[in-house]
Amino acid sequence: MLLHYLDLSWRSFKRTPLVSFLMVLAIAIGIGVTMTSLSVYHMMSADPIPHKSSQLYTVQLQTMDEGHTWWTGDDIPMQLTYQDAVNLHNASIPEKKVAMMRTGFSVYLDSDKVKPFTGEARMTTPDFFNMFDVSFIYGGVWSEQQEQSAAPVVVISKELNDKLFAGENSIGKLVYLDDDSYQIVGVIADWPLNLKYYDLNNGAFNKVEDLFLPFSLIKANQLTSWGNSNGWKHEDIRTFADRLQSEQVWIQFWAQLDTPEQKTAYGDYLISYIEEQKKRGRFSREKPEYSLRDVNQWMQYNNVVSEDNKILVGLSFMFLAVCLANILGLLLAKFLRRAPEVGVRRALGASKRQVFLQHLVEVAMLGFIGGLLGIVLAQIGLLGVRQSYEYYKNIATMDLAMLLSAPVIAITTCIIAGLYPAWLVCRTNPAIYLKSQ
Amino acid sequence: MLQMKNISKVYQTEMVQTHALRDFNLNVNEGEFIAVTGPSGSGKTTFLNIAGMLEPFSSGEYLLDGIDVGKLNDNQRADCRNQKIGFIFQGFNLIPDLNLYENIEVPLRYRGIKTHERKRRIEQCLEQVGLASRAKHLPQQLSGGQQQRVAIARALAGEPRFLLADEPTGNLDSLMARQVMELLEQINRNGATIIMVTHDPELARRAPRNIQVVDGQLADFTLYQGAQNLKNVAGA
Repeated sequence: MLLHYLDLSWRSFKRTPLVSFLMVLAIAIGIGVTMTSLSVYHMMSADPIPHKSSQLYTVQLQTMDEGHTWWTGDDIPMQLTYQDAVNLHNASIPEKKVAMMRTGFSVYLDSDKVKPFTGEARMTTPDFFNMFDVSFIYGGVWSEQQEQSAAPVVVISKELNDKLFAGENSIGKLVYLDDDSYQIVGVIADWPLNLKYYDLNNGAFNKVEDLFLPFSLIKANQLTSWGNSNGWKHEDIRTFADRLQSEQVWIQFWAQLDTPEQKTAYGDYLISYIEEQKKRGRFSREKPEYSLRDVNQWMQYNNVVSEDNKILVGLSFMFLAVCLANILGLLLAKFLRRAPEVGVRRALGASKRQVFLQHLVEVAMLGFIGGLLGIVLAQIGLLGVRQSYEYYKNIATMDLAMLLSAPVIAITTCIIAGLYPAWLVCRTNPAIYLKSQ
Repeated sequence: MLQMKNISKVYQTEMVQTHALRDFNLNVNEGEFIAVTGPSGSGKTTFLNIAGMLEPFSSGEYLLDGIDVGKLNDNQRADCRNQKIGFIFQGFNLIPDLNLYENIEVPLRYRGIKTHERKRRIEQCLEQVGLASRAKHLPQQLSGGQQQRVAIARALAGEPRFLLADEPTGNLDSLMARQVMELLEQINRNGATIIMVTHDPELARRAPRNIQVVDGQLADFTLYQGAQNLKNVAGA
């Protein structure tokens, strides 16, 4: 019977092409707008590393003296001082941990084939690649020894490798960063990260860096941060060494804690670390404070999805509701015009339920077609968003879940809009229309 | 087969109460062909609608094939209508978007009859009304008489025991009307019980039994002299 209802729906669509087209267009516009904002919201709020997000924790320490406040909800700075990052990285636990900082270089080769350009870089300890599931197409990460000795080595992105070496295996080749040459030890595969969760200080939706270098080079080459550096007290910083020893926070630090026991143990370690630092005149607060937040908690803490985005999604659903109100009116007109035919069907044995279902199938079909057209409009909308702001390049897209959601939302909302007209027409008294036809 | 006892139908508005039928009593035996006549507004169509379970009655008792219609809910009435009753309307009431084959298929689909059985019945009925070659035509491509024959085929396809016809020749010229009447007579000879509302005295005379509705009540009926029907009527 469903196929028969679909056939009848298609005939009805063809019989009143203008009204049907208007309804499909209204659904499509509503779905297009809704799916555009919903897709952006979905991509913004999606767990960027779902299989591991509850094992990766960002570390925060309360380094400020009593009475000082921070703009975070719990008053704890988001980043660590250089000395704390180094100390925590040198600790025996946990097994995997990473200290890092964003910087940048002028990039060029020892040839005139590629013009120099500015490249963004991440100074990081080696566990970065393993912890954040970054895979390599050529080579691999630098060794622990190279990390300790601040070796001039670099891992580059596939995109940069394509640009500099036309995609060839570039392991062992040299690339110049500012005034120094660095040997390429690894080329990472494409890393389509919608959300740069590992460093939310520098634009959550910015592109992943093209260059990855040993963290120890910060000290060796006196590299400055291209991200936030924040202080909370006056310090007389004259040299780079002063900066490294200062209370300014500018290093991101993550730890991989696979079990709750590991997390508890690491928490205990952080308290003992703070107590130890107290003895050296730091961490003056009476009660040691630290925070370990996993990836999703970190995203919420940083308000990655702003209230504005949520309001925008809400408004787009309200717009969809307005579209549906129009559809409801058109459906009422269309269905009630068909009352004589329904009267005949009722006389010939159709139950109210069968008439009701027939009309619901028709609105579901309208919803499906509108949903498909809505996807096209949403793609155009997302293209517009992507072209307006580089910032949205990775997130203004529609993933499979959103693609499948669009017709489901369209069909569901259309059925909701069609319930009343279908209910009204199924209550048609056949006797009224049979004589008058 | 059909028994109506003290059936009343009242249409109520805020200002007016209209008695379309009052204390209407009728017994119809299996195989009868009854013509219902009466002046306009006398309640003929209301009677036919109630007989066909197209609208409820206000009071009284209506038994169809032993089933107490007053106790059926809407779905049961639809099912009973589909199983037992065929309708022929003055305005044909064919669905304009469906071709002849599909129009005849409508009641069969609601009954859940399988495709091949539907096909067999539809082809048989189209053959019976002489329109087998026009199965794929749309109703508007046919003359009025042909459309009414399609409506008759649609009514017959469900193999109903009870055929209700409301002015079946009202929109036809005399030649077409005669053809349709002959078809109804043939259907009746094949065993179907027919109740036909008509204004045409000539057609009414051709029916073995006549009843007249005046002011919502059964006024009179003339018995057909045929032996079988006389026996049936006497038994009722």
